[in-house]
Formats: sequence, C-alpha cells, structure tokens
Amino acid sequence: MSAIEALYIFDEHNNVILEHVYTARPPLAKVLLPLWLAQPDPRPSVIYVSNTNPPTILHSLIQNRLLFLSPCSEDTEPLLILEFLHRVADALEEFLGSPLLASKIENSYDVVAQLLGEMCDAGTVCNTEPDALRDAVEAPSWMKSLVGGLGLPASSPALTPSSSSFSLQKPQLRQTLSNTGSTIPWRRANVRHTSNEMYVDMVETLSVVMAPSGRCLSAIANGTIAFTCKVSGVPDLLLTLTSPGGRMGIEKVFELPVFHPCVRLPRWRERPGELSFVPPDGRFVLAGYEVDLLPSPPISSGISNSSNLQLPAAIDVQTSLGPTGSDFEVRLTLSNRFVSGATSGSATSSLSSIQPPRPGSTGGFRTNSANTSANPTVQDLIVRVPLPKTVRNLNDLRPSRGEAHYAPGDGTVEWTLLNKDITSLSTAVLRCTVVGQAGEEENGATNGYEMRTDTYDYDENEDGTGTSSYQSGTSSGSSKRREPSSTNTVEDQDHRDMRKVRQNATLMPSGANVSFKVKGWLASGIKVDSLVINTKASRGLGVGVTPYKGVKYVTASKNGFEVRC
Amino acid sequence: MESMSRISSMLETARDLTLEASSSVRKSSNRPIPAQQLKKLLDSRNEREVLDALRKVIAMQYRQPSSATLPFFTPIIKNLASPSLEVRKLIYIYLLHHAALAPDTTLLSINTIQKSLSSSSPQERALALRVMSGIRVPVISQIVSLGIKKAVGDMSPLVRRTAALAVPKCWRLDPVTEPELLEYLAGLLADKQYVVAGAAVMAFLEVPGWRGEERLGMIHPVYRSLVRKLVDMDEWAQLAMLRLMVYYGRRCFPRRTRRVRRRPVDGSGEGEDPTKGFYDEEPERESTRNDASGDGEEEMILDPDLELLLNAARPLLQSRNSAVITSVARLYLYLGTPTYLDLAIGPLMALLRSAQDIQQVALQNIVQVCLVRPQPFVRYFSHFLIRSVDAPAIWRLKLEVLTLIFPHAEPPTQGLLLRELEHFSRGSNADLVRESVRAIGRCAQFSNATTSARCLRLLLAQISSTDGTLVAESLEVIRHLIQRDPHAHTKTVIRLAKNLDTATSPQARASIIWLVGEFAGLQPGNNIAADVLRILAKGFADEREAAKLQIVLLAAKVYVHHLNMTNSSAEKASTPVVEASVPMQSSIIASPEDEGGFGENTPDPNTHERAEETTKEKEPDHPIAVLWRYVLLLARYDTSYDLRDRARLYKALLAVPASTELASLLLLAPKPVPQTPSPSETRKNYVLGSASLVIGDGGGVTGLRGYESLPDWVKEGEEPDPKLRDEVVSGGKADTSVRQLTASERLGSATPPAVEKPNGLSMSSGKEKTLDDWLDEEEEESEESEESEETDEDSSEEETEEESEDGNEGDRLVK
Repeated sequence: MSAIEALYIFDEHNNVILEHVYTARPPLAKVLLPLWLAQPDPRPSVIYVSNTNPPTILHSLIQNRLLFLSPCSEDTEPLLILEFLHRVADALEEFLGSPLLASKIENSYDVVAQLLGEMCDAGTVCNTEPDALRDAVEAPSWMKSLVGGLGLPASSPALTPSSSSFSLQKPQLRQTLSNTGSTIPWRRANVRHTSNEMYVDMVETLSVVMAPSGRCLSAIANGTIAFTCKVSGVPDLLLTLTSPGGRMGIEKVFELPVFHPCVRLPRWRERPGELSFVPPDGRFVLAGYEVDLLPSPPISSGISNSSNLQLPAAIDVQTSLGPTGSDFEVRLTLSNRFVSGATSGSATSSLSSIQPPRPGSTGGFRTNSANTSANPTVQDLIVRVPLPKTVRNLNDLRPSRGEAHYAPGDGTVEWTLLNKDITSLSTAVLRCTVVGQAGEEENGATNGYEMRTDTYDYDENEDGTGTSSYQSGTSSGSSKRREPSSTNTVEDQDHRDMRKVRQNATLMPSGANVSFKVKGWLASGIKVDSLVINTKASRGLGVGVTPYKGVKYVTASKNGFEVRC
Repeated sequence: MESMSRISSMLETARDLTLEASSSVRKSSNRPIPAQQLKKLLDSRNEREVLDALRKVIAMQYRQPSSATLPFFTPIIKNLASPSLEVRKLIYIYLLHHAALAPDTTLLSINTIQKSLSSSSPQERALALRVMSGIRVPVISQIVSLGIKKAVGDMSPLVRRTAALAVPKCWRLDPVTEPELLEYLAGLLADKQYVVAGAAVMAFLEVPGWRGEERLGMIHPVYRSLVRKLVDMDEWAQLAMLRLMVYYGRRCFPRRTRRVRRRPVDGSGEGEDPTKGFYDEEPERESTRNDASGDGEEEMILDPDLELLLNAARPLLQSRNSAVITSVARLYLYLGTPTYLDLAIGPLMALLRSAQDIQQVALQNIVQVCLVRPQPFVRYFSHFLIRSVDAPAIWRLKLEVLTLIFPHAEPPTQGLLLRELEHFSRGSNADLVRESVRAIGRCAQFSNATTSARCLRLLLAQISSTDGTLVAESLEVIRHLIQRDPHAHTKTVIRLAKNLDTATSPQARASIIWLVGEFAGLQPGNNIAADVLRILAKGFADEREAAKLQIVLLAAKVYVHHLNMTNSSAEKASTPVVEASVPMQSSIIASPEDEGGFGENTPDPNTHERAEETTKEKEPDHPIAVLWRYVLLLARYDTSYDLRDRARLYKALLAVPASTELASLLLLAPKPVPQTPSPSETRKNYVLGSASLVIGDGGGVTGLRGYESLPDWVKEGEEPDPKLRDEVVSGGKADTSVRQLTASERLGSATPPAVEKPNGLSMSSGKEKTLDDWLDEEEEESEESEESEETDEDSSEEETEEESEDGNEGDRLVK
C-alpha cells in the first residue's frame, strides 16, 4: 500500500537525470519513458500502463520543462502523488534556486538526495514543509561557498540564513532541531534576519469566456496571495484585505478560499478579510481564492455586464472575409486605462486604486511594483488564434503592429505585441488568409472548370462534403447531378464562390485567446489594506524594529481570455 | 492551491527563465573521476575530501548503474564513524541505495548505526533509526524491531515519529515481527503528540491486514483522540486518517435512519430523476428536490462519534492540498449526510484552479460526486464552460458535468448550456463535435418535454450540415430520442425521411431508413414506410452498402406488415383481402407525380385515397409485394455477399405469405429503448479519490491492483460496542472537556484563550499539546514560569534534554 514507489526526473530532451527508488521494485525509468511517450500528446496526468510487470499507474508532472514521473503498482490516491510531485518540484526550486533547471539538479545531487530522502520515507510522504526541510538539509554547497566567501549577511538573497557560516552555528542548530517537530511545524526555529522584510504578492489569473455576441459568459479571476517573510523570531502577523464593496464585502468577493495551514481559520470566519497567521520563513503561498467578476448570473443581466467588466484588452474576430471567404481578421483594442501613454484623467483614477488608502495606518506601506509609474500597464500581450486541423497553411499574415507567425505544428497563429508597441497603441489588426487541405483545387485553376467540377462531384460521392450544394441544386429543380455547361458560367461562378466560402468556413478559427500581464492592478479590485505585526504575540523581534513592507499586484492571463466567434 | 513555483514564474518575466537556461551551461563536473582516485579520497583523513568524494559517488549513483558505485562500498562504510553529520548523512543515502546489493558488507555497518540510536541528539537518533529500518536486509529485522521498541519510549516526538514510520519497513523485512510491531503501534497511536499519532496512522495503513476486525479494534480506544488531532496533523497524515476513517466508519457505525414523513410510494418521481437510486445504500439518496416536494424522507441519525469525525474534518476543506479536500468529500459522501456533502462542493470546485494535472483528476472526482448529487453544482456552471485550451480529457469531463447539471438548472441557464453545446457541435474538432452532440442527446433524455423538444430541434437543424460526422452523430442521438417515445415523434420521422433527399452520409441514410422501417408498424396502414421504400428502390444501385442493408431490411419490414394485415383481415373473412390493404396502397400512390423526393403531402396520404383506389384495385398483385420482389432481385445481384445473404434470409423467412409469425418475431421484435448513460457511469462504483476511478475501465473490472472497494455499512447490532471508544485515561472526563477546544479553535480565537491548564490532571493530559498551546505557553512562560514545571511537560522535556544530555537522559537511551 505504499504511496510513492519511485521518482524519476527527465530533462527537456527526455534524458533521465534522476532516478530515486523509495520502495518496492518499480520498472526502470528507461522502461517507463517510452510507454509514457507513446501516449497521444496532451497526456493525462495519470496513465495506466498495463504492459509492464507489474502493471503500473504513471503519474506525471511537467514543470520548467522537466518531466517528473512517479510509477505506482497499486491503487493509490492519484492526487496524493501529484501533490507530492508538486511539493518535490517546489522544494527543489527552493533549494537549488529558481528557475529549476536540469543542470542545477545535476550539480547538486547530494542535496537532492537528502531532500528526497527527507520528504518521503520508504514510500510514506513525511516531511514536505520547506522550513522543516531547511532544518534537516543544508542548501547546496556552491551557494554556501558563494555566500560565505563574500561574507554577505545571511538574509540577503532567497537563501537559507542558516546556510552561511554553518560551521559556527551548527551546534546551536542541532539543538533547536528537536523543537521543530513540536512547536510550529511550518516555521524554523531561531530565524534571524538582519534586515526584516515582508512582501505580499497578489496574483490574479483571469479566465474569461466571451460569446460570439460579445456577451460575457464567465469571468473568473483566480487569485493567489504569495507571501515573502524575512522577519526574525516568531512574528504574528495580521493581513487585512479590502474589496471595492467595503470591508465586509470581501466575504462575498473572496470565494472558495484555501489557506496555508498557518492561517487561523476561525478568525477568518469571524472577521472575513483578516488573515491572522504566524508565517513560515521565506516565500510561501498564503492563500488562494477566486472572484467571480460577473457577480450576478450572466443570463439575467445581459450584455451590459461585459461593460462593467474592466479588462485591459478587447478582441474581435471576424471570419469568412474576402471574395472567397478565406480571410479572417482579429481586431485588438486596448483599454485606455492600461496604456501608459494614456491621458491624465484616467491616470488619477487608477492611481487611487493601487495606492493603499491610508498610508499612515499601515506603517509606511510602499508599493513595490516594478513599474514605478502609477499607471498599470499591459505587458507581454500575445494573441493566439487556434486554427482547425484542416488548415494547411496561412498564405498571408498581416499584423498592423507587432509580429505574427504561424506554427503549423500546433495549428495556431501567434501574434505578439512588444511592450514598446503597446505604449502608443489603442487598436491593432491582424489579417490572415488560410489555405485548406483542398488547396489543390486552387492550384489547378488553369486546368479548366470541367476538371474541377468532376473532382468536386467525386468528393461529394466520397465523403459527402458537398451536401448543401446538392441541396440547392435540387431545390432549383435541376437534375441530381448538374452537368457543367458553358452557357451558365456566370451563375456557376457565383456558385463556386459560395461554395468556396462554405468550404473555407470550415477552415475559420472559432475564437482567439489573449494572454497578457498587468502590473499594479487586480481585476477583482481586492487590495491589501494593512499588514501589521502583532507585537504582543510575536517573539524574537527586536524592540522598535519595523520590517519593511511591500505589496505587489499582478493580473495575468495565460490564454485565459477567450473570445469565440 | 497554486504551487509556489507556478506563482513565481508568473511574477518574474518569462524571459528570465530562458536566459538563465541558455546561460547555464551544464558543468562537466560529471566527468568520471578514476575509481582509484575516488577511493583514495574516501580513505583520506581530511573530512572535506571525504565529503567531496561522497558527493561524487552520490552523483554517480543517480546516473550510473549500481555496478559502478558498488566497489566503493567498503571505503565508504569505513567513514561511518565520522564525527561529521554531513558525511554520515551522505553515507546513509549510499547505504540505503546499495544495502540490498551487498547484504553481508552492510551487516558490518549495522553496529555503528545502532550506536547512533543512542546519540544525544534526537535528530541523529531519528536519522539512525530511519536508515537502519530502511536497509533492506531481512536478517536485521530483530535489531530493527528492538530499535523501534527503544524509540517508542523516546522523549523526542521526532524520534517517536520515526519509530512509527519504521514499523511498516520492519514488517516488510520480516512479517514475523508483526505481533510486537503492532504492540508498538498501539502505543504510538495513543501518543499525545499529533505528529507522532499522525505518523502512526500512516504506518498503521502500511502494514497489510489493517481491515481486519482485530486490527480495527486497535483504533477503538484511540478513535476520539485521533479525531481531535486530525486538524493539527500534517496533510499526509490527514490523508491517511481520512482513508482509515471512511473504512472505520462504515464498519463501526451502523446506518440508522428514521423516516421523517412518509408519502405513499410513487414511481413517477423515480423515473424523472435519473440520479436517484445510484447509490441506493447511500444517505445521499434523498435529494433536495425530494425534500421540497415532501417525498418520503430518510433522515440519517448520526452517531455522536461519527458526528465528531465529520465536524473535525470540516476545517480541512480549506486545505491547500487537493488530495485532502477530495478525501473529505469522500468522507462526507460515504459517511455523512447531504448537508455535509454540500459543504464539500465549493472546495471541490476550488480544485479547478490548480495545475492542469491536478485539475483533470479533480474533475473526474467532481463528476463522481455530481452523479450522486448534481444540484449543488448548478451554481458553478460557468466553471465548466469549455475553453479552447482545454485538453481532451478535461473537456470530456466538463461536458459530462454540464449534462449532469442540465436537468437541475434554471431555464435561462439551460438555454445558455444548450447554446454552448451547439457552439461546440459546430466546431472543427471531430471528437468535440461528437461529444457535444451526444451531450445534447443526454440533456434531452433527462429533461422535461419542452426542453427535450428544444434539444431535438437543435439536433434536427444539424442534419442539413455539411459536416458528415456531425450529421451521423446527430442522427444517432435523434434515433435514441425517438425510440424513447415513438408515438410523440411520428412527425419527426416524416421530417427525417424528407432528409433522405439531401443526406449523403451512408451512416446517416442508414439511420434514417432504419427509423422509417422501425416506425412503419406504429400505425398500420397510415404511414410513409412503403412510399419511402418505393423511392429508395429507384436509387438502390447508387446507395452505399450500409444504406442498402437498411433498404432491404425496410422492404422486409414493410412486407411483413403488409402480410400481417392481409392475414388478419383474411381471418376476419368478411372483407376481401384487397380492401384491407386500401390505406396501405393509398399511401404508396399518394404522390404519383413525385419523381425525386418525398413531397410535402406524404404526411397526409389519405387525401387522394378514394380517387386512386379504383385504379389500383385492378392490378393483380399488390404493389408492396411487387416492390418486395423487386428489392430482392436488386439485392440478389449485389456485389456484397453480406447483402445477398441477408436478402436470402429475408426471402426464406417470408416465403410463405400465410405464416408470418416467425418473420414478425424476427423483424418486428420490440427494440429496447436505448439509454445513453453518462460516460462515467461505468465508473460510478469506484471509490471517490481512487486511481481506479481516474483510470476507469483500463484497469480491469475490479479496479486496479490493490483497489479496495468500500465496505457496506455494518449491520445494526453487529457493530462494535461504542463503549470501546470511551477513552481509557483515568481523568477521561476532565480531559475531554478541556480537549473539546481543538487547536484550530484556540488558534483562531483572537485573544489568547484563557483556559487554564487543569492542575490536577494526569501528566498525560498536560503533555497533550496543540500548536496553539505552544504558542500561548511560550508566551506565558516568562510570566508564569513556576507553573511550567508541571504543565509544560514537553517543553521542559526539551530543555532537560539539552541540559542533561549526558545525565539521566543518556542512561535512558543507552541500551
């Protein structure tokens, strides 16, 4: 009944870089990889492979282009294993530095081995808290040598403070280890930082679906509060959130929350919006939530809703354009508010939205966003237009701004707008011409009309693509098979165009996805009202020490803004 | 919850990653160092050199076969006595990896490790025990068992926890040790520290046979204390607890229900609600809809102990771990009442925010819950809208949820969902088209007449589409719908028959022809079947085989009907044979001018009845018989042997016009109404959260290896005595009253709880501390330090441990 039997990690070229067997005798990595690769491409995260001995359930996770595989010979909760894989990836990143790369793993196998041994004991997952792991495992040696050699204060980068000058602290460290199990599982004992800092990063990922009519079908912002705490001792913090609907409105806005175990749940239930917690040391995800940006059901309120929804970009896809209906056009409109070159009028409104309302009460709260301008700006704008598989090629890609290219492999047009383009832009247009599989007809234009009709009729017989034209033929009272005749060429020409339009209609995209990032703005309007240290409950923090506090808001869409047509 | 690395990737720009990836050239540190040199380094007296060499060996161990690293076994083991913890840690890793390959040499190291078991540092004791139990050499099982025994009595919870985790490993070494291991485990389960108890529960599940009566008996005395510790355990222990408790609950709490109000049994409600009765033994049987309508209501009476468990699991719904949330949902689904299950719906939905790999598994679990209880999911319908970036596995499941919640949604939402399905039925992805059309069919199946008609209209509109797959799939679904209620759909069949003019896909044509033939018997005499046959016979040669087969079948059916009618009227004997078939022939000649298609007047064929009657009557043979012979002739010379065979079969069947019983039996047998169940219905017996549920049929009928289905509720009277669960601690009463406040409650109270530690309590109750006790007490320590002597048993333990490392502490630990 063991949970984790083994962990295999592969690099981006599918080379095995790590094979760690916990228990039992699972099939080797080199045996499992081809079986995993044999699955059709969007591979499910849980795969059953019956042609190994014993039959294996394969759990996979792809992160930073590394493939994590965990085989399992018996029925085990798949979510348990997948969560474990995520934790391993997180821990490796924490210890080896972000981003996690194959080379980093290869250069510090000793640390990785210790980590994996700590996290899972003979198949039983036991210790996945990063802080507890840091007590048990030293950070990679090159970091130690680097930090130690330069004589930097321990707290400077995202390293473990204990890693520097460890030889001195060692005996002391070992003493404290006995405590960690019993006091606060997620926080290391004896945390010491020379400069005390706390950062709140609020990230919202948009997931919006627009109907062809322009009506918004669903608009959900998935939020995450990431917290970075570098404060000595055991601080007891209180983070207060507000929403546009006032302090009490947060309860309605902040839907389906999940919390890090450190958050005191009853406090949240009593007073929504107040997160009271003793944080782990370092970076962690404090809470997750979601916000329905269409508070009322979309059906009743109709189109007016989408205008309430303030999105930085709007997009409109027109299909079947041009004489043969082989063109489509994507029109991108950026909201004034999110372009840095916007007028001052809009700037003031956004300014008030990102600055903390009462700076005095929050104790020197500073916006730590990367762009110093008060205006939230759209960045990394990418429009992706997925095309049907029947599209053979794109003849023509004409973006008015930015760069567009077609990747036949994924069958998508990717239109990238550079950040410098965005600054002076309100509307941009991309126009494309598609060529379908039946493009031979197009090429054979010189062969004459008869030929084409023949092939067409043949097609109709073969796979029934020409049904509608056949129908129109019968309704006009002509015979079953229209014989081409030179007399009604003009009429036929019309028919042919209509036919082409209809044919090309199957090659048209059915929508477009927009990706972007906006710094300094949250779609939900949730704000950090205050972050205070409860000095009474906290320990180990020097008297009069006020940590530096920073907050950062990011709204992102990763193909999450979808417009259908 | 999003994982940290995914969030940080969003905060940093994507470029950073690629830049760093390109700049970091793989260090060639992997270049092999000559084995001789490595050995020399390992023999070195310099700690740093040894450490370096060990790192190299560990790196080799991960990338090369064991044969490459095995030669270093002896030189490495020699360093086991090294004072450096770091060196020893690496050696331990090496040892665990290679022990099974060199059992004899490994035995040499056991002694050294055993010494570490008595180390002054709890961390080292724990480490040593972990490594020793991890060595896969069966001979040492007794030594390991002794090690565990000692560790069970250890002061440090860390060591006791390791002891718990070592129990299954020791069992795997030698199952003979089981009795003593279980003894240790019983002690560990009762441990006052949630860290230890949690690990003990994990270990409990890892030793096979825990489902036995005797083994479950171990849980009785600790049940309440375990349930109270549930909130404070780490996620993985919570998972083990929830798994154990679902089983325990089913075996130990008989399902008691009481009828609140009983209404006369009414079958009609049963048919309307397809979800009803899926889990007949489940408490979820009564749905809110039934509640509203005042249906016979079964209310579950919860055992107080069971209620304790259900409530203890509530805070876990806010867990960041998706597996925990699913496990709580499972607990509520299989043990709780619908009210509890509804609490879990929101958190389940929250799982859709997580990474795609988790999302997919979560969706499968959502479908499973949705099959039982779709109503609470209705409000989250917008989460299930299909997005173009969704992987096939995900949109399939989303479609399924949409159809499951469809009958329970409000009409506007239903409209939106139908439009949504329609949109995707016109997409370019053939699979998606097929699934959406099927989904429309399922929506129609489970909803009332108006919505059903709407679905049908939607499907009928698709028939004229140019997309072959769409047409074929729509017809398939239409056929199912018609078959469910043929009498209401006579017009639909006629309309479909008209589509024979335009439909080109052979499957579509075959489907229509079959429908026409099937419903030709509904109103004998007044239907279009014969007429359709007449027209089809003309184009027989141009049809594809699938359609031809159906035409022959249609001809046979029409002929049987004809014969049946003639025979029955002949029996009546009063009327002449020809008279009886009047309506039939009239339908054939209803549209004499029609050449290529089925005219508008076919639905009402009786208009010209009288006018044409006379002309036809004169003919010697009835036209249907003539048609039948004609079709037989056509089929006889067809290229397809299958077709020829069938034609011969029908011909033989119908050779004697007077006896049609056999033919009627064969051709006109009532067809069972096709039910298109939700795709996941085949998996609905798998337990929520299991891998078998995600894999589905691929894993075999009984689930994957190691799959354990849920036990039935224990029968009333067979359950273990509830008194067994009474806590045996002497001060039990007082203890429970204090412990009623769970850690989270205390953790949550804004002001430090003013609950005084009861002084007269036994040591154990003072020892049982939760997170917040720790926080509080360490705070109070300065103020009331004199009290801490007695109550803060653990913290003082920690202190003494450090103070008197060599003193009595040492005595206790050294063997």
